Amino acid sequence: MNINRRKILTMLGMSPALLADAQGKQAKTAKGAAGAPKIEALNPRGMPPPITLVPMAPRLSSLDGKTIYLVSDGFPGADVFLNQIKIWFSKNMPSVITEYRLKAGGFADDDPKLFAEIKAKGNAVIMAIGH
Amino acid sequence: MGLPAAPIVTIAFKDLALTNAAKRGMPLQRISFTPHPVWGKTDEQMYGYLEGNDPVSGKQFMKEVVDSLTRPLTEDEKKSGTVTPPVGAPTFAGTVDSLQQYYLDNGMTDFMPIILPTQEKVEAMLKGTSHQPDEIVGKMTPAQGAFPPWSYTVRQVAVNAVMAGATPDYFPTILAIASTGISALFSSTNSLVSAAVVNGPVRDKLQMNSGVGAMGPFNQANAVIGRAWTLMSKNLDGGGIAGETYMGSQGNIINYNNLIIPENEKDSPWPPFHVQKGFKPAESIISFFFGFGIQQGQGGRGLGVKPIPLYHEAMSYNVAPFASLFGALFLLDPLVANGLGDLGYKTKEQLADWLQKKTTVTVKDVKSMLFSGLPRGPEAASLTDDSVIPKWARADAYNFVVVGGQTNPYHQVANMSYRLSVSIDKWV
Repeated sequence: MNINRRKILTMLGMSPALLADAQGKQAKTAKGAAGAPKIEALNPRGMPPPITLVPMAPRLSSLDGKTIYLVSDGFPGADVFLNQIKIWFSKNMPSVITEYRLKAGGFADDDPKLFAEIKAKGNAVIMAIGH
Repeated sequence: MGLPAAPIVTIAFKDLALTNAAKRGMPLQRISFTPHPVWGKTDEQMYGYLEGNDPVSGKQFMKEVVDSLTRPLTEDEKKSGTVTPPVGAPTFAGTVDSLQQYYLDNGMTDFMPIILPTQEKVEAMLKGTSHQPDEIVGKMTPAQGAFPPWSYTVRQVAVNAVMAGATPDYFPTILAIASTGISALFSSTNSLVSAAVVNGPVRDKLQMNSGVGAMGPFNQANAVIGRAWTLMSKNLDGGGIAGETYMGSQGNIINYNNLIIPENEKDSPWPPFHVQKGFKPAESIISFFFGFGIQQGQGGRGLGVKPIPLYHEAMSYNVAPFASLFGALFLLDPLVANGLGDLGYKTKEQLADWLQKKTTVTVKDVKSMLFSGLPRGPEAASLTDDSVIPKWARADAYNFVVVGGQTNPYHQVANMSYRLSVSIDKWV
């Protein structure tokens, strides 16, 4: 558990230093004992696809009177957890309207019907991954 | 959707969530974390999570969620464009010892020493196939749908084959594995495993062991081909990073070099597995299985009966507790296979039919089992808890491979399903 945002940006090649490493044709040097004979060995890694950056959606100025869809991915516990969030809003931000939905399919599957409904009727989404 | 979203994930999946969001184009996605797990907690405990702090950021949890939806975006969060994740320099230079350490430190090994993939060794490996070094072999991902697949060339497969200790003769079999895109380190919390059954002349050509100790560390080809699969599953798709692209809670020792099973065709009373799947006996074929794991068959009901063990009854008994999410792969010593032949099973299909009919469970039992589902369709409506139903609805959930050296009439059985079979000859 040592991932952080800085490391992720680096992994994506968004750090100039690492980009230079990735694109360089020079061999990366592994530190070794002085005087020992050096050899070159090949990189065993495959080729990841390019990543298209997705701009995040504009935020709301306030949640007052807004409809928030509470979406479960279907893993155990997400439904019960989201119900607690519904209760929290009713106690702490009662003007917020919450709508619970279970996303269809596996955790990584799209649910076009649900997302179309949210786009038409909702203002924001809270999605919980159970387990 | 164009609407603000606040994802919530338990802390056990922090690395997975952050890196996966990044790989999908949102490296700064505002994710909030709860303690783990939420499964099995009371309403009061869950509400406590909401009033407590996010264990990653330290911020008050619901304040952070509301903030995620309302705080204006930064310029970085609005960025578009394309980036290519780096995978490191094409070659690494150093001493033998420093390079061993470098591959290990950078997650490119199975944490055991490797054969360093020098240009010379990789070129020699490439002579094991007629395919061009820059030909794309396939695409692989640690988990379909969760991670974008990576692609790889014949040369990159060769680098991994060298690292595993393969000789050029093994290379077509390793390329056949790579061509399927099946990762042996599938990222599931269930610590799943993979198996590959090898049939046809390649077994003899590579001097694979299908006899005594076939599934143990007693043969170079059996061991090294399996190890190459694990290394490829780490390096060709960015997989096998514990906590990020591998989430098996406990892991599985089989993942070290997987189950590579050359069938003992010579001592089997039945046609070999690949012929069952429509291939010719003279073709070299590798067939893939996937599931929870494997167990010994000793102690099963019937094995204490004298004078003859009732093999089929023991087999049925052993798979009854299995999760029906995956099927049953029986690995039968030739003594068992021939004993079953003597009991009247002239084909593997006959044996599968008997097991499908006779291996039953009650609906009540199924309801109490994880990863086991009840029948669907019109007949499901008439079922009660006491109804007795087949363990698996279809006979092809049962598969059989003959392997072993006839030192005892034992079987092993894996809770694994058949996936596909591919040609090794194509990669010569």
